[in-house]
Amino acid sequence: MRGFGSTMGLYEPGHGFLYRTPLPVKAAGSLACAGVVLAWRSPSVTGVALLLTLAVLMVGAHRSPARILRMLLPAAPVLVILALYQVWLQGWAAAFGVVGGIIACLLAARALTLTTPVQDILDGVVRLAGPFRVLGAQPERFALALSVMLRSIPYLAGLFVDVRDAAKARGLDRDPRVAVTPLVIGAVAYAHRTGEALAARGLGDHDDGSGDDDIDGVDIDGGDGDIDGGGAGSGDGSRVRT
Amino acid sequence: MQPAEKITADPVRSRPSSGRLSGRRWDATDLSLVAVFAALIAALAILPGIPMGPLGVPITLQTLGVMLAGIVLGPARGTAAVLLYLVAGLIGLPVFSGFSGGFGVLAGPSAGYLVAFPLAALVAGLLAVVVLRRQRFRVPLLFLACLSASLVTIHPLGIAGLMVNAGLPLPEAVAVDAVYLPGDVLKNLLAAVIAVSVHRAFPRLLAGRAARD
Repeated sequence: MRGFGSTMGLYEPGHGFLYRTPLPVKAAGSLACAGVVLAWRSPSVTGVALLLTLAVLMVGAHRSPARILRMLLPAAPVLVILALYQVWLQGWAAAFGVVGGIIACLLAARALTLTTPVQDILDGVVRLAGPFRVLGAQPERFALALSVMLRSIPYLAGLFVDVRDAAKARGLDRDPRVAVTPLVIGAVAYAHRTGEALAARGLGDHDDGSGDDDIDGVDIDGGDGDIDGGGAGSGDGSRVRT
Repeated sequence: MQPAEKITADPVRSRPSSGRLSGRRWDATDLSLVAVFAALIAALAILPGIPMGPLGVPITLQTLGVMLAGIVLGPARGTAAVLLYLVAGLIGLPVFSGFSGGFGVLAGPSAGYLVAFPLAALVAGLLAVVVLRRQRFRVPLLFLACLSASLVTIHPLGIAGLMVNAGLPLPEAVAVDAVYLPGDVLKNLLAAVIAVSVHRAFPRLLAGRAARD
């Protein structure tokens, strides 16, 4: 899948105060926009939210109205159908309240992803997961999983194209079974290879850090020499020794 | 000697924790299976759909990926894969079909479907563990597992999303949702066929665990 790297992430470099605003502020702002629009859902509130997001995008990120409209292009078919439907069903005001609200939320979220590099957003999300550490969450493994996922998408997209070409060459491209099964099996094989590569580098295996009170240190397929030493999981250790 | 004894000890020890969601900790392969299946859902969602049937109507394969995550990886890892996919989409990576990503989708008419995806993977995965304990009738039983998972989770929550976000009354929301039903049935059938092939190719992926329970 050529060109996927360029569409990966929606960040576009530019100037304006939005680029200098810290990520938490932008996130809170666009979440607030969504909350307000969904909570009230009246044409006047929607109008204010819409004007506000447009103004922020134009002033804060120096985007022309035409470029802002182009951001809505992927969602346009759904929005047009919904607008027609709402006008027919409930009248102009309600249609504006619903569709305008969705557009305001889309633009507010887009303002964030437009002006924040993907890496910063990833870091922000991992930081957000930090407080859940007490519940047994492991932000580092979460971050690792995210980056493995992002690396895998281009590989799988390429594999998908290859498999489809192969099916087409055999005249079987109308049979989705032939077109998708090798992709999924290839994905599982790729995951196993990646897992082995991670394990070889000492990544991805659980470290016996905090919060192991509810876990009995079970190792699924043994044999990888990762016998947890020390007294962590006493029943576990004794069973290995005897 | 030690690893061998460890293997024999495993079935005994893994019994109490096997039913819980986060009871057994994941090793690097589990982690990368979760990550790669999240990527698989993304790849299926963003790539152009496959022309299907004599008319060649293209269908997108996002829900196929969700179901596959559930019935190939099982409830815990499958749900985690779908959640990872959602997180990646919500923070703005263009991995959702139609809407290009970002948490703005939560305000869109399809939000209910997205919220339902992890639940669908969970339900399908739980049912698949039961199905895979037996050797016969796997395709029809997995198909039923997927179908009931989507009828219990995806469609009700999708309808709710249409009502809340798109402001549709219940009958209209049901009508809009019903358009997706035939494609859903086909995708669930496809998921069952593929999953049986995958489990045949990698017998230890889930069936090995199910047999150990």
